[in-house]
Amino acid sequence: MKSKKQMDHSFAIQVKDMTKTFKIYSDKPSTLKERVVFWNRNKKEIRTVLENINVTIHKGESVALIGTNGSGKSTLLKLMTRIIYPTKGSVTTNGKLTSLLELGAGFHPDFTGRENIYFNASIFGLTREEIDARLDDIIEFSELQEFIDNPVRTYSSGMYMRLAFSVAINVDAEILLIDEILAVGDQHFQDKCFQKLHELRDSNKTIVIVTHSLDSVKELCHRAIWISDGKMRMDGDSKEVIDAYLEEVSR
Amino acid sequence: MNLFKELYQYRELLKSNVKKEIRGKYKGSFLGIIWSFVNPLLTVLVYAIIFPYILKQDQPNYLIFLIVAIIPWNFFTTVLNQGSTTVLVNGNIIKKVYFPREILPISIVVSGLVNFLISCIIILLFVLFGGLGFSIYLLYLPIIILIQFMMSLGFVFVLSAINVYVRDVEYIVNFVLTLLFYATPILYDASLIPARLQWILNLNPMKHLIEAYRAIFYYQQSPNLVGLLSLLCIGFGVMILGYVIFKALEKGFAEEV
Repeated sequence: MKSKKQMDHSFAIQVKDMTKTFKIYSDKPSTLKERVVFWNRNKKEIRTVLENINVTIHKGESVALIGTNGSGKSTLLKLMTRIIYPTKGSVTTNGKLTSLLELGAGFHPDFTGRENIYFNASIFGLTREEIDARLDDIIEFSELQEFIDNPVRTYSSGMYMRLAFSVAINVDAEILLIDEILAVGDQHFQDKCFQKLHELRDSNKTIVIVTHSLDSVKELCHRAIWISDGKMRMDGDSKEVIDAYLEEVSR
Repeated sequence: MNLFKELYQYRELLKSNVKKEIRGKYKGSFLGIIWSFVNPLLTVLVYAIIFPYILKQDQPNYLIFLIVAIIPWNFFTTVLNQGSTTVLVNGNIIKKVYFPREILPISIVVSGLVNFLISCIIILLFVLFGGLGFSIYLLYLPIIILIQFMMSLGFVFVLSAINVYVRDVEYIVNFVLTLLFYATPILYDASLIPARLQWILNLNPMKHLIEAYRAIFYYQQSPNLVGLLSLLCIGFGVMILGYVIFKALEKGFAEEV
């Protein structure tokens, strides 16, 4: 338990001296027999995915995490979501948090769009009344009015994404974590999403986004963090960091 | 306290999960939810027909003798069997979204409880129309159910968490439950077991619970109150211990499932 004094209420996410390692088994034992019989054969390699990360994201900030594939930025996002936990150090979040790591996490293919809105929103911690109140907004934003009572297995991937995004964005979380999902959907919907994200940013929500579409993020986020090989390479104004990153990548 | 706050916040998820467990199980079948009552009744019927032949037993009202024990036992095994795989089968959600993980085991046990409470109506009907009538001791029923609920929840916490790391747990549970079915006085009365083996029987917490159910429904007696009180403490302890173990193991769930 943290004492009240130590709590600093101005931050939304605080990552302190955080290191994350994964154990990589070449042949992972998952049953008892394998564990007993092959006890000396467990070739396990410890891979450090993130090393000594220190980030404080304040309330109302919008931050882009950038870096090449495999640099650890998605892992960092998962740590902030509390899906996985740090090996060393700490990740503390302060405020109601919603994450959009993968399209339609927890969507049930046989349920209708409407039922899935309820189910998905309840995973984000909303109560029935809260969902009822938001239902129209969610459906309207998704532009799926005619399909909302069809099972989601009949949806195209674009429709799926629209539904998932509409739920997550209408949860009214104080912190929104988004991983590389805006690539799906047509131009019209993408523009709409960005417009909504701008709105959220201006209403003092905290946004952390992992992306490769650097141009759009330059406008949205005022701060960018460049992660390279699991280490923080650069942290600062989004234009500066993205320019430096592009320069390095193109070399 | 944080747990209760979070559970309260996520009550809609808990509710829809419980509903899904209850309705989803027999989804697509013709009789639907009715199966959850027909099933134990058919089991009881099979035992009631077969056992009087192979086992020398002189219980009057053997059918009721069985029903008051098998239905609670059914609650216990269904919950443990389903519960031990619950974290694993929900792996895809665990990997993608944060939510209090304890919702999963809790919703299994709560859905089992709801099923059991409805099944209790069957027990009461049989007791009433089987000529036994109700006794005042039925007032102990909520306490007995509470004990079983806490104990099952504790076991499910532990088993569901360990099963993520060692997948054999679900098969071991399956086997142990089959074994335990015969080691618990369900088909027979505990007095049939020789005195020198009674202590083994007494190690089994389900034995005491089943006897308590049988006392209030069938024998129309007060259950052993000292025993009930200590069971209440044990049940509470099992639940807390299970929760602590679950909490300690939960941090690795997303990486292991």
